[in-house]
Amino acid sequence: MSKILKLEKSKLDGLIQFLNKRYELFGPKEINGQIEFARINPGDELRLDFLNTVKSPKDIFFAQTQPILHYKDNSVKEPALKHKPVAIFALHPCDAQAMKVLDKVFTQGKYLDPYWDGRYRDSLIFSIGCNTPATTCFCNCTGLGPFSKAGADIFLTDIGDSLILEACSEKGIYFFKIAEDVAWKEPDDDDLKKAEQIKEAAQLLLSEKFQAQDIKSILEKSWDNPVWDEISNRCLSCGLCSYLCPTCHCFDIQDEKLPGTEQGVRIRIWDSCMFSLFTREASGHNPRPSIAARFRQRVMHKFNYLIDDFGVLGCVGCGRCVQRCPVNVDIREILKGFLNGKG
Amino acid sequence: MFRKETMEMIEQELRAKVKALLKEGKVKLVLGYQKGSLPFNATPTIVEDEASAERLIFDFSCGPGLAKYLLRKNIHSPGQKTGIIAKGCDARAVIQYIAEKQLRREDIVIIGVPCQGVIDPNRVRKKIPDKEIVGYAIDGDKFIIRLRDDSVVSLNREEVIARACLRCVYPDALDADIFITQPRKDVEHVNRYNEIMEFEKMGSDERWNYFENEFSRCIRCYACRNACPMCYCEECFVDKTDPQWFGKGTGLSDTMLFHIVRILHVTGRCLDCGLCERVCPMSIDLGLLNGKMNKEVKERFNYIPGLDPERPPALATFDEGDRQEFIL
Ligand code: SF4
Ligand code: SF4
Ligand code: SF4
Ligand code: SF4
Ligand code: SF4
Repeated sequence: MSKILKLEKSKLDGLIQFLNKRYELFGPKEINGQIEFARINPGDELRLDFLNTVKSPKDIFFAQTQPILHYKDNSVKEPALKHKPVAIFALHPCDAQAMKVLDKVFTQGKYLDPYWDGRYRDSLIFSIGCNTPATTCFCNCTGLGPFSKAGADIFLTDIGDSLILEACSEKGIYFFKIAEDVAWKEPDDDDLKKAEQIKEAAQLLLSEKFQAQDIKSILEKSWDNPVWDEISNRCLSCGLCSYLCPTCHCFDIQDEKLPGTEQGVRIRIWDSCMFSLFTREASGHNPRPSIAARFRQRVMHKFNYLIDDFGVLGCVGCGRCVQRCPVNVDIREILKGFLNGKG
Repeated sequence: MFRKETMEMIEQELRAKVKALLKEGKVKLVLGYQKGSLPFNATPTIVEDEASAERLIFDFSCGPGLAKYLLRKNIHSPGQKTGIIAKGCDARAVIQYIAEKQLRREDIVIIGVPCQGVIDPNRVRKKIPDKEIVGYAIDGDKFIIRLRDDSVVSLNREEVIARACLRCVYPDALDADIFITQPRKDVEHVNRYNEIMEFEKMGSDERWNYFENEFSRCIRCYACRNACPMCYCEECFVDKTDPQWFGKGTGLSDTMLFHIVRILHVTGRCLDCGLCERVCPMSIDLGLLNGKMNKEVKERFNYIPGLDPERPPALATFDEGDRQEFIL
């Protein structure tokens, strides 16, 4: 069986139905006027033309509120982790790489995170090339690009009335084998040429030119840079950028007891280094007392520490934080500032 | 129809007047806006010397609020003279801070600008979904939105300007020390509660369902709270840990409780500036809840926050004449 197949969009339903039977399937669809990754059920309209979703897809694997255990009197029950494997259709390449970054954090460090691992390990990721990157995208600066196959099991290219599908991993190749009933076609030379042209045109739309990895050595010397104060004077210290970011992964653990009973639940919830509570210690002392210190942590973690710890950049260049920051704190401007000697 | 003065005229006068204030030592610094990195987003800036005043702008992209920065001790402290470029809502926030004893009037130089509303990028994005917007121009009373492929989309003011601005009654900074060009004065008096009155006609189940659907999308990023000029508690109730007051998960009841309590905390103080709604990444209809409470406060106590620095917030006073039919 070939590694590259073609599927007419009019036959896409067959693939979706097949996926739906075997997987817990997620894909881009319109919810309240915004496109988000959500469960795809037969008949749902898939939207492949989106620029970038507002929320990242990370919560498919890393739930914002994850029950860890339920307790009642003296008994403790852990929630079952068994589930159908997850498939995500049409992740942008930046998000697919972001899931790989998170996988490193949750599985390659000292501890294995069972909640993440249980969902990501046997998942099937369909990335889709971005024919029209957004003006806020800068994946070309983070070692990727709008047609990067990093993190994809199967890579899709939208060539108009058809999709070109390329298996990029063992899982992808296996999927082609089992999904033999889908109305695949063999792509001809014209199709492949078209895909190549679309890819080249997309790359030209990305306007940023810097390389994010070059910033690490500058950051190592920038602990006391006044630029942190300048940014923090504007920054609201909210959690918007971290919560929309596909690679932010900090969390908190809370016990919630039903009042008047000996019954409750322990949950793992998202947290953000931009919240002052994040580092506040039981004594009341806060080692990161200012917005400047917190913002520095956010940048250092992504562009310095994660390279040390896991050999990856903690930013994939999706531009979500750029797009939505309430006060237009633009990470690209900050990085370019460092590269241009402001740092 | 938009005002005839060009943005250049406003900017020229703005920069000149700010330079003069700094030169004459009347202020130590001025809070203003500079051009942002996206067409609809200016970014706040602090100007401390005449040369930096050159970067000041004022236009439809100046959505962020500036007043709250006055409460940051590293930016403003009592006795320091600080200038603020003020839209109507920024000036009302300053006045409310004075009423709430957070600022002293004599420390602040209010520099009024002729606000014609600010763009709500979310509204435009919903009108032109998944197209890349690279700029805009004004033509009569239309916004001409330029897309990356050089095509244009023409939108009406009502489709682009923030909802709160469309129903704003006080676009001219009240009590301005300096006004850049002329106050608008020509505001049409829209009934700011029209939308609320429509909503009130719905049954209680229907209203509850509406809010459930809205708040079920909340990701608890607290951008609404952190942007809100009236949410300035040193420690927010939702951040209390010893003991912890609130559940922090994204279950609907915890999320709704957070929003209900936040709204109660700003009731009688909310300026209807619309910032909370504008910054929300999940496009949650926060304006409706605020609007309802503002209407209640107006009807019950004849109080509109941010108008009178001498009058304490509605819920911080007691009057024998207050309606209290809800007390059984
Ligand atoms: S950078 Fe923007 S989004 Fe991030 S915490 Fe600051 S204000 Fe919020
Ligand atoms: S830091 Fe911003 S641009 Fe980078 S991955 Fe996170 S949200 Fe995307
Ligand atoms: S950052 Fe790159 S991969 Fe991500 S959406 Fe934009 S173009 Fe696509
Ligand atoms: S609650 Fe919303 S509308 Fe009211 S003052 Fe705060 S940000 Fe403005
Ligand atoms: S800004 Fe929106 S998503 Fe964030 S906490 Fe407020 S309502 Fe929730």
